[in-house]
Amino acid sequence: MAATLNESAEAGARTEPTPPSSRLRWLFLCVSTLLLALLLVSGVLTVRFLSEMRTQELAAARALAERTRALSGLWLSIQSYDQAVQQFVAQTAADRDAEVRRRLDRLTLEIAADFDHYPSIRDSEEDALLNGMRHVFSQQRTLYIRILEAGPAQRRRRADSVLAEHLEPVQRQILDWSGKLQVWNGERLQHADRAIVTQFANLQGSLSRVLAIGFGSGLLLVLGSMAYIVRLDRQTRARYVELAQSRHALQQLSARLVDAQETERRAISRELHDEVGQSLGALLVDIGRLSTTLSGGPPEVKAQLDNLKSVAERTFQSVRNIALLLRPSMLDDLGLAAALEWQGREVSRHSEIEVSVESESIPEDLPDEHKIYIYRLVQEALNNAVRHSGARNAKVVAERAANSILVRITDDGRGFDPGRSRGMGILGMEERVKRLGGTLRVESQAGKGTTVTAELPIPAGGEA
Amino acid sequence: MKPTSVLLADDHTLIRAGLRMVVDAQPDLTVVGEASDGREAVAMAGTLKPDVVVMDIGMPNLNGIEASRQIRAALPDTQVVMLSMHSDEGYVLRALKAGAKAYLLKDSAEADLARAIRAATAGKSFFSPAVGQVLLQDYMRKLERTGGEDSYELLSPREREILQLVAEGKSSKEIAHLLNLSVYTVETHRAKLMQKLSLRSVPEVILYAVRKGIIS
Repeated sequence: MAATLNESAEAGARTEPTPPSSRLRWLFLCVSTLLLALLLVSGVLTVRFLSEMRTQELAAARALAERTRALSGLWLSIQSYDQAVQQFVAQTAADRDAEVRRRLDRLTLEIAADFDHYPSIRDSEEDALLNGMRHVFSQQRTLYIRILEAGPAQRRRRADSVLAEHLEPVQRQILDWSGKLQVWNGERLQHADRAIVTQFANLQGSLSRVLAIGFGSGLLLVLGSMAYIVRLDRQTRARYVELAQSRHALQQLSARLVDAQETERRAISRELHDEVGQSLGALLVDIGRLSTTLSGGPPEVKAQLDNLKSVAERTFQSVRNIALLLRPSMLDDLGLAAALEWQGREVSRHSEIEVSVESESIPEDLPDEHKIYIYRLVQEALNNAVRHSGARNAKVVAERAANSILVRITDDGRGFDPGRSRGMGILGMEERVKRLGGTLRVESQAGKGTTVTAELPIPAGGEA
Repeated sequence: MKPTSVLLADDHTLIRAGLRMVVDAQPDLTVVGEASDGREAVAMAGTLKPDVVVMDIGMPNLNGIEASRQIRAALPDTQVVMLSMHSDEGYVLRALKAGAKAYLLKDSAEADLARAIRAATAGKSFFSPAVGQVLLQDYMRKLERTGGEDSYELLSPREREILQLVAEGKSSKEIAHLLNLSVYTVETHRAKLMQKLSLRSVPEVILYAVRKGIIS
């Protein structure tokens, strides 16, 4: 009966649909991966962009510094040149001409070198400015060359006019050019700065967008996950309640089955005993009387009567045995202790196991249900021992503890692994013990025998 | 001489009818009443005061064992013949403890009933032969399997003699008279043999004697 129940339960588990959540799970996984990738990529890009901007900024500042330095060097050289020219014009001693000329030549070379030292990477505008400056300087030089060729007397005479007419305007021009270049350089730095600011603003914009997208999808993900978790939680709860309910129902069902089985057995046993047994008993008495009456009669009749009697006796015996198997009448006639002792002797008679029973201390005012279940428990345990253990001795101890009844069945058989094999016998015992609110423990080890211990609470009141 | 009065207690009419015919067929026995359960048997025994109650063990309301105990307590002169379907020692011992003198199996009741009633009236024990056989088999099997020795071998001839007399239902005084011994000596022998056989009460002594075939 219970085997069928188990099978149908398994069949039910097999057809139960698996929860359709795996697609959703994949979606969540993808979205979170994407989100993480987005954050990672944008972070890397931002860092790279920032370092690039920093490089640009440094480059612009360095370019400005280089140009300023070159320009001021150039300008200083030109100034010294101009001063030298002015001194030359102003001085009259002819013997020093050669020296001054050499100095001017050296300065010219220096200036040319300064022009060459100006940073070579230039755009066209800067190039034009620099070339303009170089052009003015070469104009100035042609002018000076003419002055330098003149003799000291001529120079003194024309010195003031030359200075006023030629030198000063050219010097101003050079100053202009260099000022323009300076300004242009400043502007270029500003340009670069502005470009960086624009780029920075762009970066800010895209970062904000990325963050907004990340936050949005993260929020969605979190909300989705929360909803999913809540749903799962609800499902788990529902399933748990369902499981508990069905387990309870199953337990009740099996308890009812056990009860029904016992009731049925009792009814059939009673029927056998009362109807069949008593009729056979009466038949036996009558046959006995008949054989006494016919004691002087023909021997064939006596032989037939004897035959009749032995058939009736055998039938009587088997009916009695069946009835006993179904419902041990000693439970009703003599009580639990005697019934357990009887059970032990019965097993000893019909098997290779010698059973000893200690059950004197068991209370006799137990409800009928307790008596029959304890009896069945012992019966089942002894049956198992007979069938599987190969034991020579078994011991049944049923005793009253402080608040419970302890029933222990021990054998010295070959034992088994209780974790692995739990037959229907043990299941049936467990069911009965659970029905009475008790606990069942099966201890066994290969080669070390088996001990089945049941602890049952003593029912309050003790009425059936 | 007044015939022995018998009360029949069995919950089955057919069985009672059969038993009544067996008893009434004996000139020295007469059925004075029939009870159909234990309670009724106790009540009827109280009013009829029969010499013997023939009592079925398995009866509704009050079973035969309990009814016997009550009847024996109230009427020490009324003897009980127990009728049972079981030859198991649990039944026999409890029937004896409840005060029954004779123990009959139902399937052989018809043959032995008259003898059992007469034995009980005389204060003697009586058991269906099959009972002794079953008890002896159980005993021998147990000895064989557990490797114990038969403690009967430990008894002296005098103790065996006294064991039989105790089992037959004789008091120490009667035994002393029969064997020409002092009551004190009988009591000493009795205590010693019970100790040797690990027996705790007279019913257990009777059971032992039945098992060993000393009485039947």
